[in-house]
Amino acid sequence: MLFLEGVPLFYLELAIGQKMSLGSIGAWTAISPYLGGVGLASVVTSLYLCLYYNIINAWSFWYLFHSFQSVLPWAECPINSNRTGPTEECEKATPTQYFFYRETLNIAPSIEENGGIHGGQALCLLLAWVITYLFIVRGVKSTGKVVYFTATFPYAVLLIYLVRGITLHGAINGVKFMFTPNMEHLADPNTWINAATQIFFSLGLGFGSLIAFASYNHYNNNFERQAIVVSLINSGTSIFASIVTFSIYGFKATVNYESCLERTRVLLLNTFNIAEDNINIDNVFEWIEKLNTTYPEQFAKLNNKLEECDLETELSSAVEGAGLAFIVYSEAIKNMPLPQLWSVLYFLMLLMLGMGSMLGNVTAIITPLRDFKVMSHMSSELFNGLVCVFCLLLGLGFTTTSGNYWFTIFNDYGATFSLLFIVLIEVITVSYIYGLKRFEKDIEDMLGHRPNWYWKIMWSITSPLLLIFLFIIYIVKYINGGTPTYQAWNKELGTSVVTEYPVFGQLFIGLLLVSSISCVPLTALYVFCKKRKLGNHEKREHTVSTVSA
Amino acid sequence: MLYSQGEMLEKILLLFCLSSALAENLCRPDASNGYKVRLSIKRALGDEAYVWNQDEMFLFRATLAFAMRNHLSGQDFQVSNILVCDETPRVSFWFIVTSPLDATRPVGKEDVEEAIRKSRSRINSAFLLTDQTLEFIGIIPTLAAPVSPDTPPWLIVFGVVMGSVGAGIIVLLVYPVVHKRLKKDEEEEELEEEEGEEETRRVKTMENGAAGDGAHNLSFTDDERFTQM
Repeated sequence: MLFLEGVPLFYLELAIGQKMSLGSIGAWTAISPYLGGVGLASVVTSLYLCLYYNIINAWSFWYLFHSFQSVLPWAECPINSNRTGPTEECEKATPTQYFFYRETLNIAPSIEENGGIHGGQALCLLLAWVITYLFIVRGVKSTGKVVYFTATFPYAVLLIYLVRGITLHGAINGVKFMFTPNMEHLADPNTWINAATQIFFSLGLGFGSLIAFASYNHYNNNFERQAIVVSLINSGTSIFASIVTFSIYGFKATVNYESCLERTRVLLLNTFNIAEDNINIDNVFEWIEKLNTTYPEQFAKLNNKLEECDLETELSSAVEGAGLAFIVYSEAIKNMPLPQLWSVLYFLMLLMLGMGSMLGNVTAIITPLRDFKVMSHMSSELFNGLVCVFCLLLGLGFTTTSGNYWFTIFNDYGATFSLLFIVLIEVITVSYIYGLKRFEKDIEDMLGHRPNWYWKIMWSITSPLLLIFLFIIYIVKYINGGTPTYQAWNKELGTSVVTEYPVFGQLFIGLLLVSSISCVPLTALYVFCKKRKLGNHEKREHTVSTVSA
Repeated sequence: MLYSQGEMLEKILLLFCLSSALAENLCRPDASNGYKVRLSIKRALGDEAYVWNQDEMFLFRATLAFAMRNHLSGQDFQVSNILVCDETPRVSFWFIVTSPLDATRPVGKEDVEEAIRKSRSRINSAFLLTDQTLEFIGIIPTLAAPVSPDTPPWLIVFGVVMGSVGAGIIVLLVYPVVHKRLKKDEEEEELEEEEGEEETRRVKTMENGAAGDGAHNLSFTDDERFTQM
């Protein structure tokens, strides 16, 4: 995916941005007036992303601030009002899930029930936007300096985590799990769609942020080398980060497995009154068999209390959505020695990454908008401030009790489909409408040499075909999938339940998908009408002048 | 005469046997007034675990007698009032408490429960165990009240970060304005100095003034739109 889609498209976007020196709307209008809509679609997608992405930063802040306690709040269940035991909801779920769903989000049972805004979340969101404003207030120059820190700090943390992760008990199980290919998953086209969209997301293709950043470059900047280097580093980092992630994941799975075994052991000891050191963790399963044969009736009574302990299941269990980073990881961290330190490091790293991404997103909106004459009269500080305040106010909607479900809608549907569409149109436009030859000449103009045959084949044949294929699969999957569903948190069961979206939810999803894509045909239509009106106007003037002459 | 005396003797013997048997029968698994106790010594102490033997059992009975005395003040419970039975290798057993006034009468369950609850921490510390490792099945331990500070700690950290970020923004916004004003003052001073010197300089100052009054103050925006690579 990286070599077939990622690098060629990255190169393409950088070239366009650097050549046109305009934000995405201006750049695409310059390439072909009918296709200015592509830029507009990018801006709309980036706007959606801006709205919901900062919520993740707000969560990271919340967790970060809560790490400064002697006992991490997600390590233990809070005690109920009678002081007889943990709260019911927390007992059915795990403390980390309880902390995320109840204390962080205060989540409603379904998307239909609205509630008030969560005060702490709103404060954290405010902080996130204030910091974003701080970074962009002086424009791209300050952004450039900030990124020096936000881009390098995560590497340092990842390295520390790598060392810590590999030395954890059971980490090797996770790494082994990561490297054993699962043939069923590989054959599923869903996996490939996810891989493609992940590459787009990861490299920032289709959002317009690349074009925006490249527009600030010198005309003769060697972006070809940069495109290759950045893409490779990006993917290398992803692999590095996955090793860290999976080693910690393996640790968490092993700890859960062992505590499951421990609980089973205690259950056996208590039921059959066997001396304590006769059963230890290694021979729990043997003892289960032995006891089953010697005391079958007593064993049968146990059956509903006995849990199935399986390492594979633990490794394969996953949580849907952005909560994965918070639930799974905080569970792993609470078991490490000195958890406060690891927690602070981890959430700081998440913040750096998240803030870095926000910078790209906000720049992708601001740069094209500033190209319009209306906005360029305002000072950049004021304009940036207005954009931030606007996104903050809309983002407060995600801090309500049903906010997380709306967040999931945006996360699942806001960007993926539009990205595929935008990137497809981009590639086809540049290869066929603008013309590959003109593009080659532009690159030669900027760099001094023409792109070699690999790039040309990718742009004209491979990438479009692959994208069309993915696009069709996505549409087929959407049609065949029936009503879209989401995971709703059920308080009584203490677990997530698959629920269908209500009608207004589905309408909203449709609106999201259509709004960004429809920019392209609508703009084309608008330009077409304008041109025709202008053409008529010219004809009328011509006839008038001939008469007067 | 002898015959009826023999019968009397048998009856007395029977009664005697019955009463002593009754005393022992008071303590049995699932007794209505008894509780089951379970100790997990190895889990609590690991390598420093002590071996459970009759001396430890004596300590247990003594501690429980103390707990009963503590709760029902005035009644002198003795070690012999605590009856223990059904010991298992798990280290679990049943016990029942009898009244010091009448060894055949067990003390009610509620009194025993109250007594144990009151002195729970003393009983635990006698055995170096905790609520989880010394279990009285049926008596749920009262958990410690959670410590809740007046200001939640996260709010404090939030305040610090928010304050510093706010200060940063204000500095960034105010600095160019202040810088501009300082430079303007310097320029005005230079203007006054130069006006006194040559006539030709006036053209230049006019240009400076014009440049300074424009809507787009070029001297103070980013002089390079393109960033250095």
